[in-house]
Parts: sequence; structure tokens; C-alpha cells
Amino acid sequence: MIATMGFSFGSVAALPSIGGLATESAMVAFIQPSTALQLIAFAILLGGIYGLVALGLTMIFGVMDVINFAHGAMMVVGMYTVWWTATAFGLHPILSIPLAVLGLFALGVLVHLTTISSIMDAPQENQLIVTFGIMLILISAIEITFSTDPQSLGLGLGSVAIAGVFLPLGQLYALLIAISAVVVVWLFLQRTQLGRAIRGTADDRTAAQYVGINVPRIDYLTFGIGAALAGLAGAVIPLFQQINPYLGDSYLINAFVIVVLGGLGSFPGALLGGLIVGFVHVFGQYYLPGSGYQISIFLIFILVLLLKPEGLLGGGVSE
Amino acid sequence: MRKTTSQSDRRSFIKYVGAAGTLGLAGCVGQDPSEDGGDGSSVVIGSNHPLSGSLGGTGTRMDNAVQLAAMMKNENGGIESLDGAELEVISEDNQGNQELGGEVTDSLIDDGADVITGCFSSPVTNAATRAAERAGVPFVISVSVDDAILQDNDLQYAYRPQPPASQMAVDHAELMPQVIRNAGQEVQTAGLYYINIDFGQSVRDSLREELPNQDIEIVEEVSIDFGETADTAATQLADADPDVVIATTYEAETVELVRAMDNQNYAPPFIAGCANEALNDVGALEEMGETVEGALPTNFALNPTLDRASEVRERYESEFDESFDANVAMTYAATEVIIAGIEEAGSSDPEDINDALSEIEVSDHIAAMPPISFDENGENENALAPLFQVQDLDDRVVFPEEYAETEIDL
Repeated sequence: MIATMGFSFGSVAALPSIGGLATESAMVAFIQPSTALQLIAFAILLGGIYGLVALGLTMIFGVMDVINFAHGAMMVVGMYTVWWTATAFGLHPILSIPLAVLGLFALGVLVHLTTISSIMDAPQENQLIVTFGIMLILISAIEITFSTDPQSLGLGLGSVAIAGVFLPLGQLYALLIAISAVVVVWLFLQRTQLGRAIRGTADDRTAAQYVGINVPRIDYLTFGIGAALAGLAGAVIPLFQQINPYLGDSYLINAFVIVVLGGLGSFPGALLGGLIVGFVHVFGQYYLPGSGYQISIFLIFILVLLLKPEGLLGGGVSE
Repeated sequence: MRKTTSQSDRRSFIKYVGAAGTLGLAGCVGQDPSEDGGDGSSVVIGSNHPLSGSLGGTGTRMDNAVQLAAMMKNENGGIESLDGAELEVISEDNQGNQELGGEVTDSLIDDGADVITGCFSSPVTNAATRAAERAGVPFVISVSVDDAILQDNDLQYAYRPQPPASQMAVDHAELMPQVIRNAGQEVQTAGLYYINIDFGQSVRDSLREELPNQDIEIVEEVSIDFGETADTAATQLADADPDVVIATTYEAETVELVRAMDNQNYAPPFIAGCANEALNDVGALEEMGETVEGALPTNFALNPTLDRASEVRERYESEFDESFDANVAMTYAATEVIIAGIEEAGSSDPEDINDALSEIEVSDHIAAMPPISFDENGENENALAPLFQVQDLDDRVVFPEEYAETEIDL
């Protein structure tokens, strides 16, 4: 199903047959503008989703210094919340998304209060193992409840064509939701008393306590918001992709790269890192054989670590 | 929100990311095996399949097929040559992890398995067959496509009733263009789309060899990893503009490709599949819709011309409330081979069963292929992957004629 807008329509112009993969590198020089635009569109769409996935991760680490390995599993809970409420109760998926966000916020607060809060001052290994355990519990619960078979909303939202570039509506909606979420969270952090308290805690936990900020409360709210962002990232994925209990891993691996790439704890860095990874991913898929794109992503990751170890938009390194 | 980041924070983050990734790969969960096997009153079949993990859905259905074949044999009086001895199935979970293939096999043997079947994932089967070889216990592969499992190893205790990757590619490269050309249409170029793991790569390699023999040039090869969308892949294939797109993936990856093709208004003249799970799954076909109507997948199959095959399918669906797909059919047929081997051996001794399997010819099976017998590598000499066509969003065998349930419609 294709909707058309703007001034140019139709299918992507096909390149002539390349006569085998030996000539693949030569294709770079002959890429058609329409193909390049198409790939740029896919890169932005994918990068936006990656940025959204990385937001919650970087927020929790930025404020609490906790590496949440359950982030991908929380995404999966968000995916299945939307899929289940839509298929079992006939709720429109778009309406299910806020349910997933609220549910994951509650789950995040619960997880923090019952597990993380008591080990906030423990070595990071403890937090790592606990969040890893939470990941296993959540994924196993999903497996037991919904089976390991792939599930789909079967929306078939189709795409819109603008100047010969096809924008899949599922991904487009997901990107718009991601942008909206970033704006809302940014406004919350910048314009509200609570947001300022969270930023203050992120800057210096000890100083925050001295000025009267209830840091434990900030911690569970932050973990809840981070989990809600994971839930939101997961909730938009069924709009354009089949889901399964392990899909969170695919996004989480790159989200970790993005968080380091953009700068630990940096919101703009997460978005920038997401876009960079999105571009490398899409263009790498097009031009490189096999998993070459993933190698490229990690090469850039290593380069950033060597040349700008605080990340592209991270704060200065202090000894 | 911005924070001054210390080097120790960053180093810790990276260190723990790496450590947790390693831990994730090393995860291990098993299922309690039956404890009363191997007491002489029954013959024990070990089922080594992925019962959890991303392949767990299909693996569980395959394990059910092993259970059903044994159950139906027991209902019909058990092993006649052993005075009605009953078959017992013990199952363990390999999670689709290669490192568990051998471990699960060893465990099944320790628990009394006289013969083993598995494993779906080729790397897992590779490890599992070697473990069985070391123990001198026969291993009949249920489903695993990689040629190397049997052809790169000198195994004396491993057998594969299904066509391996090279045979699947031979059958696809012969049957698919033949029916298209017989219908007065042309196919000269192909684009390959495959899952980027051992399974997809081995079929791709075989198609690279076989398609040129049928005057088909491969103009594009596109891989996809687990969990990816196929937008870029569809763009690549559209740019290459092949006459036929041949997909070799599990369900999700082909569904993603079709969705991406629809979104880009791209429809190749023909869609085909070689060892493709989605094009032989009714649920996936319904999800992909009209785009795949007329698609031509090649896969191992239940013999649609046999009444007994229909009975098995109905029994399976009522017993387990699960769909009876090609993997289930092949696993059931592999278990039939095991049962025939036990009957022929008249013994539960693994050596006797192995001797029987090496010489056996099994005519009474439900797969759409001639009688099963094994060559010196343990490959089925008569393995066949018939051609299906998607008609009314159902996969129907259309070629060769002796197994066809309906006529081709192009």
C-alpha cells in the first residue's frame, strides 16, 4: 500500500544488472541520486529509533552510574504490551503505546525499589549482575507467557512516497513518536523543578544531597523514566516489525555503542550517536557484504574511544 | 543533561558491556530428562532440539514430532522385532547454541539414549553428531541443512534423511526454472536474500554453484541478520532488478523482506524460496498476503498424496494444537527412519541400530521423496526437495508430478 505526496512518484529506479559481486565496489561510483536519498531516509528513520533506545540507557547511567542490562528486556516488555493489548482487546496500537510507557515506568520503579536501591553504593559488578538477572527473568517470563514464536500486529501501514523516496509509515510514526518523546523529556528536565533536581543529581550526587535534593527519590524516578523510555522504544517497534522475545538484544548492542559514542549521560549525544549508527548501518548494509556494517559500527566506536574518549558530546575527562 | 564523565566510569561501562555479552553467550538452561530409560524394556530415543531461545518455537514443534512418531508406534504394538518393546523419548534443550550441541548429546547418552535425533541449527548438529560419534551412538539428523556436517567429517554413526544445502539448491535450481520456462515465461537473473548464519550461507554457496548451470545469473546477494528490518535489502534487490528473488531465511526475515518490498512498491517477476520457513508457513503467508501469491519455494515436504500423511498431520494438530510445517514433517520422517532401524536391528544396542541404519531402505515414510537409504557419508541417496507454489495463501506441492497435490498456476 503506497500513498503518494509531493512532486515525484513511482518506484525506485533500478540500476543495471551489476553482473556479479566482483563489481560491487564499482557501484559506489554509480549510485543513483534516488537510491542515495532512499538510503538517507532509511538511515534517519533507523537512527531515530536507535537514539530513542539509547536515551533511557544514557539517562539511567548519567544520573545513577548504573549500567542497565535489562534495558533490552524492558523494550521487549513494551513490545509485547502493545502487541498483547492490541490483539487481545482490540485496542489500537497507537493507544496501547501510552499503556506500555506507564507500565514500564511502574516496572522500573518497582525494580529499583526492590533490587537496585539497596546496592546503589555497592561495586558496579553487583548492579551489573542484578540487572542481568532482571533481564533473564523478564525474557523468560515473556517466553513462558507468549512463546518464542515471532508475533506481529499485521498492520501493513504501507508507505508514503516523496520525491521518489519511500518512507515506511510504521517507521515514520515511530520516528515522530521518538522525537516527541525527546522533546517532552528535554522540557521536563529543563523546565521543571524535578527535572532540575535530576540534572543536579547527574552533575554531582553528593552536592545534590547537600542542597536538599532527595537523591534516593530521584534515583527511582530516574530508573522509572529510563524504563519508560525503554518501554516507549519497544512499543513503537511492533508498528513496523515482527517481534520476538530476543529482539531487544539486536537494538541494545548498538544502543551501548551509541551511548559511548555520543557521550555517557548526554541526551543530544544519544541522538547524534543514534543517527551516526543509523547511517553507518544502512550504508554499510548496502555497500558491504554480510555483517560488514556491524564491523564498521564497532570500528567507529573504537576510533571515538581512541580519539575522543569522552564521546562526541560528552563532558570533559577528569582525572 | 550533561555530565562530566570520569575515565573510570567509561572504562567500567565498556568493561561490563563486554563481560555481560560474554555471560549472555554462555547462558545454559537444561530440561530434566527422563530417568527411567535404558532399562531393557524399552528403546530410548534422545531428542536434542532447541526448546527455548529464538529457535525454541520450531524446535518444540520438532520435538513434538519425535514424541508423536514414538507414541503412534507404541499405540500400534511397539517394536515388533523386540516383542512389542515400547519406544521412549527423552528430550533436552540445546537452546540453539552450538556449545550445547555436544553437551546435550552426551547428557542424553548418559541418560540412556540408544539413538539420537536433532538438532535444527546446523552448527549445533555439527557438534552433536561428533559427540554421538565419539560415544558410538547413531544420530539421525531431523533437520539441518549444512553439507559440511556429514560431508566434511568422516562420521560412521550419523545419517541425514533430508536433502542437505547442496541438494536443496540442486532441486531448486532445476525445478523452479523448469516450471517457469514450461509455462512460457523467462527467468535469466536471480537475486539471493539469505539469513547471515551457517544455514543461509551454505544454501547461498550451493545456489552460487547450481544456478549458473541452469543459465541463471546471480546479480545480487543480500544478507540479513536476526532482528534486522529489510528496507535496505529490498532497495538493493530493486536496484539489481533480478527476474527472481530467492529467499533463504527463517520466518521473520522473509516477512520483513516482503513488507519492505511492498513499502517500496517493488515486485520482482517471481519470488522463490530455497529452504525458506516463511513460504511454507500458513500464518506467515497470511501475514505477507497477496505479494507472495504464486511464490515458488522448494523445501522438504509432507507427501500430500499419502492418506497416512494426512492422518499424521491431523493427529499432530489435535494432539499439540500446533501447525504441522515442513520441519515437523521432516522430523517425523527422520523418527520413522529411526524406528525402522530399530525394527531392522531387532535390538536396542546402539551398534546394532547403527549397522541396520547403514544398510536400511525405508519406503514407508511420510516425506515427499523416494525410499530413504544412505550413502557412505550418511546422506540420503534419494533425498528430494519438491517445489511448492503459494496458491490462495497456502503452500501446495506442484512438482515433481508424482508428489504434486495441484497443478502449477503461473
